[in-house]
Amino acid sequence: MNFGKGDDKGGYKDNRTLPSLKERMRDGLKELKHEIALWSNEVKERFESDPLLVFRPGEVDVIWQFKNAESLKKWIVTNDSDNNEGFSKSSLVLGNHEKALFSGQLSLKVPKDGRIKRTGYCNMRTIRARSVLRERDQLGNNKSFKREAHLDWTSYNMLVMRVRGDGRSYLLNINTRGYYDLTWNDMYHYVLFTRGGPYWQVARIPFSKFFFSSKGRVQDRQKQIPLNKITSFGITAGERYAGDFSLEIDYIGLEYDPNHTEEFAYEMYKIPKFMI
Amino acid sequence: MFYRKLIRYTSILYKYKNSSNYYTVTNFVRSLHSSLVNYEEKNDREYGALVHRNAFQEVDNKNKNTYLEMVKIFINRDNVYRRGHVEFIYSALKNMEEFGVQKDLEVYKALIDVLPKGKFIPTNMFQVEFMHYPKQQQCIIDLLEQMEENGVMPDYDMEDMLVNIFGNKAFPLRRYWRMMYWMPKFKNLSPWPVPDPIPKDTFELAKYAIERISSADVNSVVTVYQSADIKDSIDDTWIVSAQSNSQVRLLSEHNVDEPVYVEGSFKVWIKGHPINYFILRGEPKPIVDEDIDQDDVSHIEIPLFNLKPPVRKHLKIIRSVHEQEDGVIYSLCATGTSSKDSLLSWVRHLEKHGNPNLGKVPIVFTLRSGTKEVVNAESEEEERSQLEEK
Repeated sequence: MNFGKGDDKGGYKDNRTLPSLKERMRDGLKELKHEIALWSNEVKERFESDPLLVFRPGEVDVIWQFKNAESLKKWIVTNDSDNNEGFSKSSLVLGNHEKALFSGQLSLKVPKDGRIKRTGYCNMRTIRARSVLRERDQLGNNKSFKREAHLDWTSYNMLVMRVRGDGRSYLLNINTRGYYDLTWNDMYHYVLFTRGGPYWQVARIPFSKFFFSSKGRVQDRQKQIPLNKITSFGITAGERYAGDFSLEIDYIGLEYDPNHTEEFAYEMYKIPKFMI
Repeated sequence: MFYRKLIRYTSILYKYKNSSNYYTVTNFVRSLHSSLVNYEEKNDREYGALVHRNAFQEVDNKNKNTYLEMVKIFINRDNVYRRGHVEFIYSALKNMEEFGVQKDLEVYKALIDVLPKGKFIPTNMFQVEFMHYPKQQQCIIDLLEQMEENGVMPDYDMEDMLVNIFGNKAFPLRRYWRMMYWMPKFKNLSPWPVPDPIPKDTFELAKYAIERISSADVNSVVTVYQSADIKDSIDDTWIVSAQSNSQVRLLSEHNVDEPVYVEGSFKVWIKGHPINYFILRGEPKPIVDEDIDQDDVSHIEIPLFNLKPPVRKHLKIIRSVHEQEDGVIYSLCATGTSSKDSLLSWVRHLEKHGNPNLGKVPIVFTLRSGTKEVVNAESEEEERSQLEEK
């Protein structure tokens, strides 16, 4: 029994030693120029006060696209082999025609350390959001001085992805990390089924279908996804079939569909008291 | 009660006296005082340990019947003082795949049935919250987890069994209810369903794969050709091919001087089974996307002064799904051997069936060597790690 968690990585904290104070100060000062530019932009935007208010139905607003190598920097790729907990490997690279290719090798082989029961995942996720709404441009709406912010997707009700997969299914994760340690691992999931083959597919997934889970366990008390509190977005390859996988991504965007009126796809039963 | 106990003690005493040459007197007293179990274990040892560690691995003929027989043997070994349920269930769970029963609900129910009914039911709320009989509860939770992982949905019978064993507030029950809530929701989620269990035949799988890929165009027609129908073909195998009307049209519009490419093999996964497919591809068509600035007011034509009425192009041919940035896809197929010869037969079949243009067009085969099979990749890795261990 313990009260509160000190480490938001849940035991997977990076143990590498930090560079010396002098080096860190030098790096920090280098950042200063960019951050002040961000900050001045932020102040300007605040006085202009011209936020996006009209979201035309049926129009996809692209959030993440892969036009250049710079766009890959917003993504982090993790595998179970990173923590010596498996043998899967993957990479996210820029493919032809300005598309990203997330591919690798899934392995279900369990390392013989007597601790791990199941393995086999490759994951890509965005870095913690710093922009308030979406990245209009390089400087745009970013919060300055590395302050954390949330993505606000309240005006949309669909996630739209143009992908070309290999017939496998992937897991979409929307992270809504909260302030308290209990909410650090709040995630909403849904499955992305890919057709496979040479044709691109556009997957439109309503946010109402996403279900709530924490640390990979679906929770008893379901709730609607808080679209104004999104911290990151990720895609996991974690099918229970070993082998290689590849997922090409054109863009990940959002759409407002007025015909979709469902608010939440899962019943919110009143659970007996003893069930937690 | 006391009377029954007395009888049991005296009977043990009697047995004990008969075999007293084996035990010393001190042992006798301790076994009487500590537990009866102690004596019976010793008695069992003569026949072999209660739970065989490798009992499941020693079975010669591994199938469902022998698996259930093993469970039956365990149950019949001792009806009154049955012990080692948890160890037995864990070892049974571990060996499921070898017996090919990991997707069988009946087997899971047989394993749950091993536990005694009524013994583990908590009688007050503190017992409930502090997980009455935690080892047994955890064991069944692990069993349910294995079921979930193998996509086996429990039934209402199982609920009755679990209630009889653990009472209606135990943790395995909670897990069961969660499974019964979520699993039906996810069971039929896939827009490209395949039968369960999926057939092992490659031909059937290839048909599923090609149907699935060609579902991008609803007009696609999947045809099965035999390569032997073409003269001079070496291979005798099946070809699952898909082509739609618009693809036939695109191919007929193809410039005869430009080559078409037979490319492959690419991989598509049908529920864990990799299927190789090939495509017939032409060079990509240039995308003519006239970007007209609607807000530009510098060139407004005034129709009032025109003698002729303005001709407006309202209509524009919509690009079909087959015209992509990286090429125009004319057809796709999967063959039994994935050989160059079978692909040649495929092209000849397409030529015979409505694509006469293919006879004039130069065809380039750009085939990659077959991608590594999954099974090989895994076994290679295993071998390597085994070598490292040595």
